Amino acid sequence: MTSSVLEIKGLKKTYRSRGGPRRALDGFDMHVEAGQVHGFLGPNGSGKTTTLRTLLGLIKSDGGEMRILGSELPEALPKVVSQVGAIVESPQFFANFTARDTLSLLADAGDLPQSRVDWAFELVGLRDRANERVKTYSLGMKQRLAVASALLKQPRLLILDEPANGLDPGGIREMREMMATLSAGGMTVVLSSHILSEIQVICDQVTIISLGRRVAYGPVSEVLAAHSTGQVKVVLESAVDLGLAASVLMNAGLAATVNGDHLLVSGVDKPASISRALAAQQLYVAELTPQHADLESVFLELTGTAPVPGQHRSVDDSVRVESGQ
Amino acid sequence: MSLVKAERRRFFKRRMTVWMLVIGLAILGAIGAGFVATHSKHTPEAVAAGEAKAKAAYAKEVREFEDKWKKECEATSKDPAACQGPPAEYFTAEHYMKPEFDFKLFYGEILIIWAAIMAMIAFVLGATYIGAEWSSGAMMNLLTWRPKRISVLGTKLGVLLGSMAAIGTATLLLWTGMLWGIAKVAGHTNGMTGSAWGSFGLAGLRGVAMIMAFAALGFGLASLGRHTALALGVAIGVVIVGQIGLSIVLAMADVPFFERYLIPVHMDAWLKKSVELEGGGYTCGPSGCIPEAVSELTYKTSGLIGLAVVVAVTALAFWSIKRRDVA
Ligand SMILES: Nc1ncnc2c1ncn2[C@@H]1O[C@H](COP(=O)(O)OP(=O)(O)OP(=O)(O)O)[C@@H](O)[C@H]1O
Ligand SMILES: [Mg+2]
Repeated sequence: MTSSVLEIKGLKKTYRSRGGPRRALDGFDMHVEAGQVHGFLGPNGSGKTTTLRTLLGLIKSDGGEMRILGSELPEALPKVVSQVGAIVESPQFFANFTARDTLSLLADAGDLPQSRVDWAFELVGLRDRANERVKTYSLGMKQRLAVASALLKQPRLLILDEPANGLDPGGIREMREMMATLSAGGMTVVLSSHILSEIQVICDQVTIISLGRRVAYGPVSEVLAAHSTGQVKVVLESAVDLGLAASVLMNAGLAATVNGDHLLVSGVDKPASISRALAAQQLYVAELTPQHADLESVFLELTGTAPVPGQHRSVDDSVRVESGQ
Repeated sequence: MSLVKAERRRFFKRRMTVWMLVIGLAILGAIGAGFVATHSKHTPEAVAAGEAKAKAAYAKEVREFEDKWKKECEATSKDPAACQGPPAEYFTAEHYMKPEFDFKLFYGEILIIWAAIMAMIAFVLGATYIGAEWSSGAMMNLLTWRPKRISVLGTKLGVLLGSMAAIGTATLLLWTGMLWGIAKVAGHTNGMTGSAWGSFGLAGLRGVAMIMAFAALGFGLASLGRHTALALGVAIGVVIVGQIGLSIVLAMADVPFFERYLIPVHMDAWLKKSVELEGGGYTCGPSGCIPEAVSELTYKTSGLIGLAVVVAVTALAFWSIKRRDVA
């Protein structure tokens, strides 16, 4: 049994602002085990940042339980906060200070040795620019500074809300490698991001949130398998026979649709049955590939946010799961 | 303690702090230069020069009178004997010399110049110190390091007040030293007994307290609004509507002693221990005009009012940071 670093049960939060109350979290659950890189996914406005802010004690929840490293939050937050490094939605820093001053002041505030500052700059690739004012930094450089500030504590739990925001491709790859290294060193990482290909590569587990509720969770492979369509792509030797082939497969009890120059067949147990059925009618298969669902399509399906041609989707039009699921 | 160190570093690292102090010292220095330019020591030579000037001026006036006005006066006046030249006693040496800078007489009167300038600076520093933290998001970031909000805000306020006490005392010493120097070159320091120094010292301490109060006020307002602009907006609103507007309206409505509603009057009372307000018109007699009614405003009243305002705003700021979400 691996130990839980982060546990959230039934978290509720309703913002009360001028536009009337807005329910941002509606009984949200989350579970992160030690040593994982955990992806936290959800459409815009689904409650990711709200969850992380609540965890960090920046906002008060209206109900539910939270634990970090086994300690009840928010009561025990002052005790565990030294073990939690976090950036929440591109944190801003005082623009007129240099990056070094910024981190050095944080190190003082957190009772950390000043030597950590250089270590953190080295890690995020800002060493040579550390003495420049934050005001003059580019978006990606500010983001790197933010990550450096979260790493400064050498935390056991690292929470990164959209750390890749504004990073260049090289930066994204560096971030990925950095997270792999940190996680190998025993750090637990919670990572919210919209770059799903990235999440699919680096995360051990994911939690997907939609309108304040969890819609899926678990190891990436399981989430993909549970929602993979089991489709097979079939390319024939001659494309003119597609219509005929489709009806042959239908007769064999398979759901087949013509999709451009190939067929998509679903409900397939053994792909061999396709080629057998077609060969019996003198139709020869040139290519037979099982269609693996990727995280993006699973995400779009689960959250109901796939774009529909001719329709404009509003931010809150995503899937709501019934509570108690 | 680590947070205290970090906050103190932050406070003195801010360019705003440095610039406001430079500007404040420049203004105080310019005022000092003005005093030097308009005052001078009454040395025997200076008195002699003044007397010579007075004599020359008298002679000139008399000559002018004899030449022009005498004939005209004698022609039109019923009593030609009354047509005399200007009286000699009007032409004293003092009128032809710059006044002396009397340290003992002036110090208490102009202490408000230092105190008001530094109080304004303290207000701006207090407001921007926390306001910039809130609006830049640095405050939110800090709270993810230090989740105890009351203690974070308390530490910041403490560091601000400590720094302003130090800055206030340092500038008070500079101001006093400057005035002493001015008195030495362009006046005198007669009568500065130990008890005179004692009461000046107390007035200076009241000034430092006032500076700290303004810092706390700016800090509290900016923290409540989570932006520097709120504090500055309130300040401008109070000055324009609450002070200039109010004083016009009250004066027009003939409210007796309307000065008691004006902040500078209270500041003056706080520093001088008491001020007399005049109201209800004047009765004029041969010995000058005397007000029909006077009312005394003491530093106790003004101090209590100021303390109440500062405590209320600060308490609200602490209550708000405890209660409100940081998002
Ligand atoms: N301070 C606030 N006051 C009122 N409503 C808020 C506030 N912050 C967030 N919300 C609302 O709460 C909901 C969840 O917002 P949240 O920022 O948690 O979304 P998110 O998942 O982080 O989205 P994104 O992917 O765009 O960052 C949204 O509907 C948002 O409008
Ligand atoms: Mg967000």
